[in-house]
This record gives sequence, C-alpha cells and structure tokens, in this order.
Amino acid sequence: MKIGIPKALMYYTYYPLWKHFFEQLGYETVVSGNTSKIILNNGVMNCVDDACLPVKLFHGHVMDLLDKADAVFIPRLTSINPGEFICPKFIGLPEMIKSSIKGLPDVLVLDHNAHRNIKNAYKAFVDIGKKLTGSTSMAVQSLKLARMNQKKYETILKQGETPLDILETGGGHEINNVKGIIGLVGHPYLLYDQYVSMRIIAKLRNMGYRVMVPENIENTLIQEVCNRLPKKLFWSYGKKLLGSGLVMLENNMVDGLIFLSSFACGIDSFILELLHRYNQRRYRVPCTLITVDEHTGHAGFNTRLEAFIDMIEWRKAYDNNLSTYGTSVSGG
Amino acid sequence: MTITFPHMGQVYLAAKGLLDDLGIDVVIPPPITKKTLEIGTRLSPEMACLPLKINIGNYIESIEKGADTVLLSGSCGPCRFGYYGVVQKEILKDLGYDIDIIIFDPPDTGYRDFIQRIKKVAGNNSWVDIARTFRKASYIVEEADELLEIALKKRAREANRGETDAHLYSFEREVLKHHGTKAILNVIKKYKIILNGIKEKNDVSPLKVGLVGEIYTLIEPYVNLNIEKKLGQLGVEVYRSLTLHEWVKIHLSLDIKHRMNHKRILKKSAPYLNLCIGGHAWQTIANSIHFSEMNLDGIIQIMPFGCMPEIVAESILPRVYEDYGVPIMTLVVDEMTGEAGYFTRLEAFVDLLEQRRNQTDEKKRSLSGR
Repeated sequence: MKIGIPKALMYYTYYPLWKHFFEQLGYETVVSGNTSKIILNNGVMNCVDDACLPVKLFHGHVMDLLDKADAVFIPRLTSINPGEFICPKFIGLPEMIKSSIKGLPDVLVLDHNAHRNIKNAYKAFVDIGKKLTGSTSMAVQSLKLARMNQKKYETILKQGETPLDILETGGGHEINNVKGIIGLVGHPYLLYDQYVSMRIIAKLRNMGYRVMVPENIENTLIQEVCNRLPKKLFWSYGKKLLGSGLVMLENNMVDGLIFLSSFACGIDSFILELLHRYNQRRYRVPCTLITVDEHTGHAGFNTRLEAFIDMIEWRKAYDNNLSTYGTSVSGG
Repeated sequence: MTITFPHMGQVYLAAKGLLDDLGIDVVIPPPITKKTLEIGTRLSPEMACLPLKINIGNYIESIEKGADTVLLSGSCGPCRFGYYGVVQKEILKDLGYDIDIIIFDPPDTGYRDFIQRIKKVAGNNSWVDIARTFRKASYIVEEADELLEIALKKRAREANRGETDAHLYSFEREVLKHHGTKAILNVIKKYKIILNGIKEKNDVSPLKVGLVGEIYTLIEPYVNLNIEKKLGQLGVEVYRSLTLHEWVKIHLSLDIKHRMNHKRILKKSAPYLNLCIGGHAWQTIANSIHFSEMNLDGIIQIMPFGCMPEIVAESILPRVYEDYGVPIMTLVVDEMTGEAGYFTRLEAFVDLLEQRRNQTDEKKRSLSGR
C-alpha cells in the first residue's frame, strides 16, 4: 500500500517524522507534486471560498494524490505543545477534506493532540501503526526511529538552513558577497512553498542577502521572549512567529524583517500586528508585510521586494550621515 | 474608575444593572452605528475579524464619554477571541489612551487571578452582595432573551405590521432611563406583557428559519443587519440557536439538566464533526441538525469574514443538507457588507423556501388523491 503525504501545511515541519514512521512500518510513501497552477486551481475549486490559501492548497494536494496513492495521510494537528493550539482549521481539516473532495481513497487520520500531554500525541502514532500492521511493538519501534530522524532534521535547521535547503533544492545558490541578513517571518507552509512564496528565499539570496527563518531560532529563546507577553499565547505557530521575530529584533540579528502572510489568516492578523507594533515602539528595524493569495502576481511581488531592499540599502548608506547643519543628503 | 464594556446584543442591560447595583460608575457605549464601525476599521488590523473592530469603536466612543476601564470576557483559544484583550490594549496604547482592560478569562486558568479581577472591579462590596447581583443580572439576561423570543413569534404573525418593532423601539428608549437590576427587570417584564398582547393574524403558518453561526454576529443586531427583524418582516418565524442566556447557562451556572441537553444536541453532529475546534463551529453543525430534525423550512449560517472555526463548519454544512434536506445558506458579514445585496439574498432565500413548501404541499395533496 502506498501512503500519500500532501505537500502542504505542516509537511515542511514534520515530513521526516511522517516519512520515516511509515517507511519503518514497511509502507511506501509518495509525496504530492510541487504546488503548481493545476494543484492550486484544483484546491480553489474544491474548497469553500472563505478558507485561506494554505487550506485550499491542501485540498489541491490531496486531489493530486488521488490516483497516486492508495491511502491519503491527513494529520489532525490539534495541538503540538501542551496548552496550545495551532489553528481551528487544522483541527477540522479531515472533516473539511471528507466533505469537500469526492472519491477519496482510504484516509489515515492522525489525531496529533498534545493539548494535555505530549504523550497523547505519540499515542496517536502508535494507534495508527497498530491499525496498519497489527503490532504495537513495531509501531513503537518505528516511532522511535522516526523521532530520531525528526530530531536530526530540527538540529540542522537550528544551524541556519531552511527546510527548503534540506527537503529539496532550489533555495538559490550560495552567496559569496553577503550584503546582509533579512529575517523572514511566516508560516512554514507559505515560506517554503516555492509557488506561493514566489521563491522569495531564492530571490533574496540572488540579491545578495542571507535569510533567517523562524526555524533557525532556538526554542528556549522564543519561550523566553514569549513569557514576557501580557497573556500566554495559545497558538504554537503564533508563538513561534512572534517569538522568533522578537528574538531577531532584540538581538540585532537582521537588517530588515519581511512578514509573509496569506490573505485572511486569522492568526497572522493578530501576531503580525503585535510584532509590528512592538517593532515600531522599541526596535525600529525596517519591516514590510507581504500578503499572498491565489491571485498574487510575480511583478507586484518583485516590485515590493526590490523596493524594500532598496530602502534598507539607502538607509545604510545615508542614515546617520546627516550633517548637523541640516543640509539634505543629496547636498541640495 | 468608570467602567465600559463592548456591545453585544442585550449584554448592556445586564452589565448596566450589575454595575449599577455594585455602585460602580458605568458608561454604556453609544449604540453601534456606522461611525463606530468606521472608527474601529480605521484603527484595527486589516485582517482582524469584525467583532474586534466594532469593540474598538465601542471603546473609543465610550472613552470620549469618560470611561477609563474596559471589561471584557476572554477565552483560551484556539479562536482569536482569546487574544482580543491584548491586541486591543496595544492598539489603545499606541493611540495614547491610558486605559485599563480587565479580561475575565475562564477561571480554569487560575482561580486566584479570576478572584483578584472580580475584587478589583467590585471594590468594597461583600462576596454575598456580588453573588446576589450576579444572580439578578443573569435574570435580566434570561428575561431579555425571552422578550426577544416573544418578538420573534409575534413579528411573523402581527396583525398590524411593524407593531412589534415599534414596541421594541420604545423599550430600548425607556430601559436606558432606569438604574439597577430591579428597575431594569421591571421594564423588561412590562414590555413582555405588552408584546404578548399584540394582536395576531388568524390562520397564518409562517415559514420557519433557524439561525446558526458565530455567536457575536448572531446576537448583535447591528452586525447581522438586524436579520431577525428583516426575516420577521418577510413573515418568517425565526429560531435562534445561540443566545446570551444559553451562553450564561452553559458557562456560568451549574444547571446540570441544561448542560446534559446541550451535550445531547452536540452528540448529533458526531458523524460530521465530533470535537470542539474553537468558537461555535461544533454548535453550528449540531444545531443545524437539530433544526433539521425539528422540520424547519430553512437554516441560515452567519459569520464574520475570516472567522476560522465557522469556515470549517461552512465546508461541512453541505453534507448536513445532503443528509437532511433542509436548505442552508451562509451569509458572511464584514465592514464592506452592503444592505441591498444582503437583503436580496435573504429575500431570494425566503422565496425559495416558500416555493419549496408549496411544492411539497402539492405533492402531499396529489399523493392523497385530492
């Protein structure tokens, strides 16, 4: 039996875990193709209009797997850390897929719910493994190996690589003459989906900038800044984005900050607003928000990116170079 | 300390009564108008959901009238409402308002904080007094909801068109002149009697439509463009699923019988969605099934644009329709919603329901051979 893993949503975070888990159990895995116009259109056609782009894309990727796999793996990521959630749409994802897509093959739903206890999340894996192979010990063994691989993956991420560099190539070439570092804050399913993110990572690298992504920031640092918030943040990814953004700002790690968000993302609307306000008050690092949806075009996207980079470079060149007499920068 | 709070349907009656009784100064935000919405939209994050924007408008208008403290209830996710307080406080802070926002999170996150916050608001009142006033305030919620329920029944049947709404209008004018729970309760009771006395048309059997969806958009008439009134004027009897009273009963009281009933309805949605995904999506599905089983003619789901839980419900509702055969329409509201387009959709939906009913009536008649 071939198990299909949609290349969307949490794929970029948990792919090593899922892949190795199913392969250790003795199943072949197949990943849906890279996001394309066809996948996007399929997703848009088969999903409610009001859903956000990533959820529509997930629908498209499931459609892509229909004739490639014998079973589709749909994780229900209720919670990945105790006391936290991800997003309501993630919790209802299996139901959304089942309601919207006709002719689904077998569906493997993983109830990843660590809301009370992280062990409950592992139990869900064991349950799936047991259902597939009938052996608990084998499931436990597979999970153990899969978790080791996942840990390895996360360690490499902390060293400054992006998931894109590890999971696939196409993140752009090595830069010889680094002009600076740009912080990229956004959900993994936007940043690393090359179709949706308009290859933003490669574009920045081609302009001579290194990128820093939330996956590069140590969790302990994120936790530390988030503890200072007036109320506990109950979204894991909200916390990761806000926390990593604040860490980058506080430690002067970046020359500029780009928020990448999808249209109508409920969590981003709050998180990026807070990050933006804190930045305005305390750090005043150049930042911009780029919102993508199914209609975004390359031209407008590039213009905004280039304008932002120009602004950073001009600021570096001219900021603080004002004479005390107040003559203008251009000497006029 | 002068307290204000955001509007949400009839909340202001209970909140005013409660704070009056405890001897705390209170500013009721001016009724939500286009201006409120404009203020809120200008100052809030673009992609935030509609209730947050209207709340901000309410605060600003109350602050202009002298309020310095905001009372707000809270939650712990995954719906965005849980982080409203924090974001709103930052917005007000950047605007230069030094406002205290007291957020009442559910006590399970820490009883000590919860008690401290009550004490902070209630000041020198004894715990017995506080408990007693809370009880009275919840009566107000109950009675006010009953008043609206009567209006829903009467509107679809009234002999003189517009009579119900005329009485409701004078109720809203009159109740604001009174202070304290007792006086407010009396006004509500008086109008319940008046509404009950409205003359009905003979032998009408109005269409029945159930409302489901996100609680704020259901309860606050400005946001849903007064859908209950509009439907009533079209001759439709409206059934509400989420009411303030219901919310109070489930979250704040110990009414076990009611909770069991609530659970029983929720269980009906097991084949479609069997867990809480935040907000009221679970209730939306369950109540749609409940309404279908009650043989209502149609169901309308209302939600603010971008509401995360309701989008999940929206994508599941077509399956409920397939299985139960009661038409369901989804209406999304935001600051751009135009009245004309919205009412056209409502009227078209009601037309459709009417035709459906006529057709089934004819079918029944031809089957019985008459």
